Amino acid sequence: MFESIEEVREKLAGQEYVCDRRLATVVYLAVKLGKPVLIEGPAGVGKTELAKALAAATNRSLIRLQCYEGLDEAKALYEWEYGKQLLYTQVLREKIGEFIGPTKGLREAAAALRDQEDVFFSENFLVERPILQAITSETPPVLLLDEIDRADEEFEAFLLEFLSDYQVSIPEIGTIKAEHPPVVILTSNRTRELSEALKRRCLHLQIDYPAADVELEIVRLKAPDIGEALAKDLVDTIQSIRTLDLRKSPSIGETLDWARSLVVLGASSMNKELIEETISVIVKYDRDAAKVLAHVRGGPESKDLGQRDPTGEKQNEGMYEMHRSTHKHTH
Amino acid sequence: MDTVINDFVQVLRRHGLRVSPAESIDALHALGQVGLGERGVARDTLRTTLVKNLEDIETFDRLFDVYFSLRPEQERPQAKLDAHGHDHGQPTSMEFGEEAGGEAPDSEEHSHEDAENTDFRRFFDEEKMRPSEDIHGEADKMRLSMFSQELILNRNPGALNQALQRITHQLRLRRARNMFNPGDLVTHGQGQELPLDVSAADLQGMLDHLHDMDVDEALIRQLEEQSEEILRGLPQLIEQMVERQKKLEKKKDDSALMRRSLRKVFEFSPAEQRETEAAIRRIARQIHGAKTRRLKQDRTGHISVPHTLRRNVRYDGIPFDPVLRRHHEKRPRIAMLCDVSLSTRNLSRFWLHMVYQMQNLFSKVRTFVFVAEMAEVTQVFEESSMDLAVEQVFSGRVIDADVNSDFGTAAEQFKNRYLPTLNHRTTLVILGDGRNNGKEPNVGAFEEITRHARQVIWITPEPKWGWSLGSCDMPLYEPLCDRVEVVRTVDQLASVAEDLVKTRA
Repeated sequence: MFESIEEVREKLAGQEYVCDRRLATVVYLAVKLGKPVLIEGPAGVGKTELAKALAAATNRSLIRLQCYEGLDEAKALYEWEYGKQLLYTQVLREKIGEFIGPTKGLREAAAALRDQEDVFFSENFLVERPILQAITSETPPVLLLDEIDRADEEFEAFLLEFLSDYQVSIPEIGTIKAEHPPVVILTSNRTRELSEALKRRCLHLQIDYPAADVELEIVRLKAPDIGEALAKDLVDTIQSIRTLDLRKSPSIGETLDWARSLVVLGASSMNKELIEETISVIVKYDRDAAKVLAHVRGGPESKDLGQRDPTGEKQNEGMYEMHRSTHKHTH
Repeated sequence: MDTVINDFVQVLRRHGLRVSPAESIDALHALGQVGLGERGVARDTLRTTLVKNLEDIETFDRLFDVYFSLRPEQERPQAKLDAHGHDHGQPTSMEFGEEAGGEAPDSEEHSHEDAENTDFRRFFDEEKMRPSEDIHGEADKMRLSMFSQELILNRNPGALNQALQRITHQLRLRRARNMFNPGDLVTHGQGQELPLDVSAADLQGMLDHLHDMDVDEALIRQLEEQSEEILRGLPQLIEQMVERQKKLEKKKDDSALMRRSLRKVFEFSPAEQRETEAAIRRIARQIHGAKTRRLKQDRTGHISVPHTLRRNVRYDGIPFDPVLRRHHEKRPRIAMLCDVSLSTRNLSRFWLHMVYQMQNLFSKVRTFVFVAEMAEVTQVFEESSMDLAVEQVFSGRVIDADVNSDFGTAAEQFKNRYLPTLNHRTTLVILGDGRNNGKEPNVGAFEEITRHARQVIWITPEPKWGWSLGSCDMPLYEPLCDRVEVVRTVDQLASVAEDLVKTRA
């Protein structure tokens, strides 16, 4: 699929995905060694995007499984199609007479029936969920297990067989092994620590916020209408905002949103007013916004005002937490 | 190559990274794919296959730099030699002098020696594996020849080792000679000659040995040429190695004594770490808490159509035997209150570690620390590594950790500020000894808190007979808790977990 690390980089760039050499190396190895990749990093740095770009770059289909609490094998792997099984039983009832007709004795009839029984537990009655799809697919796909940290620990354990051998065991049918191993990409936001066993089976890649030049390149690619000077200003501003102690630093996603909104607003250069008006695009918490504004105005921004400060507004913090946890639930 | 990687993995392990054999094999395969032509790529490859925890990346980077730092130097050995003659002699000799002065413990010297052996081998290996420009031909061919060279060297490790050992011996002699004035320098010429002579003879021996073996002539010539180069670079190689070895040793903490002792207290051996983790997992299974979305078959609950249909296929699809499912309570919501006062500080290492593990295992853990004040540290624990988080807690930036513990005040504060964090699904775990130092126990506030939580578990380091001594208010709090456990070591934690499993109906 890829012949060199450089080629990975070029092909990904062809999909408007800018990456550094480290990332390209990992992707190259994943493809060459046939190992899953576990990508960790803050939200909005392009973890999911990588899977999409990789699928597009290699002309493979992308199968995506969004993980969530309570996800089980019926949703991730396979499910028997009970209704269909039942229907077939009913319809085939008459047929059974024909099959068994000329037999002598019950024993023979039972044997004749036994020969047919695997009809009802065949792949025909299997509803394929993403992981099984990836295994049985004719052409090797890219399988994205998104936000694996949201799934339960049990689910992780269940994935282990698949991740190490690209096979799954279905009790009624047996073991199904992938003929064309898929490229598997797992992403995690680190809301909890993943198990050692899972990590051991994967190549590990940490994606962080990009360096200024990479980010600038991304902005140019994804928001081509933005002026050169403005793009540079914008990236510089974002980079300096990231140095603040914020609850949620603006990610690439937010940078691009911002770039696009500035284009819509017809802005030609960065200034304080503009930042104040559009701050809501990049910062999603009130307290963060205040801090960013103070920073932009060049006011007496003090890092001690960080959220970890014990004398800070504890009441508020509690409420934030509440807000955050309810927010999590709605997902 | 595998010896190099294995050796490097050993170094990583010594620095606390958990690298499994499967992972080092992966690393080898991966290196086989990308080749060794580029340092950056090799580094990324090793990192992605060997390092799986974000906290470890920094350590890895540092070790990689130190470990493989010989590489760029050998690209220009001649230039290096000249420069070395004037600039670099001093620090090395100092080095030896110091060690001879008896400051370095024996084990260190031993490991030093070991490393030297492997180091030399690595030097050869790298020399061979480096796709150097001076060998003409295609990459594939080259790699093949390099591989065969490696085979030869591996078949004849004895001669090489002998040479190395003798060099080490010489070095030690030099150290010994220097014993009485540790600061004093050995003149430079001396340092250069000794190892060179010895090793020259030994290398020759090795080459002779190679001739005896059934080996391609060209290959041997090549090796000879290389050995020339190696010999020329030998003195500074030794020097570099010594320096490198120093860096590879665990960083000594040169900050204040206080800090060092703290750090020491909080270091957990990997075995202990795994044990705690396992014990906590066991405890966690027993804590009743939030309902999961996962459905389990049960005698009560809602009818599940697919399961009912499937089970009743045997009855012709007539649902004689309905399958009921309901949500099971599995993943707990936990609020932890941890006493970090002086009286329990020797245990705080254990507790905070436990808290840290808990938070890693469950998504809905909120952590508070208290002495007299109460503060939430959930985020600190989420964002920092264990050591950093603990340091932050004790630094006094979060709460004043040096006053007497006062659970009454802490309970009052918790009641006023954080009560909404508790609900009927939360299990409250309190880690503390319940010593209020004569202050108001404030049972009222505590009762209010317990009413809001589903379950209260108090983990105390003191056995029950100690509660009546001194100013301990445990007897007052105990009736309000669902369970009080005495835990002060990993073992005890494990046995408590075991008990919980047993006593459960």
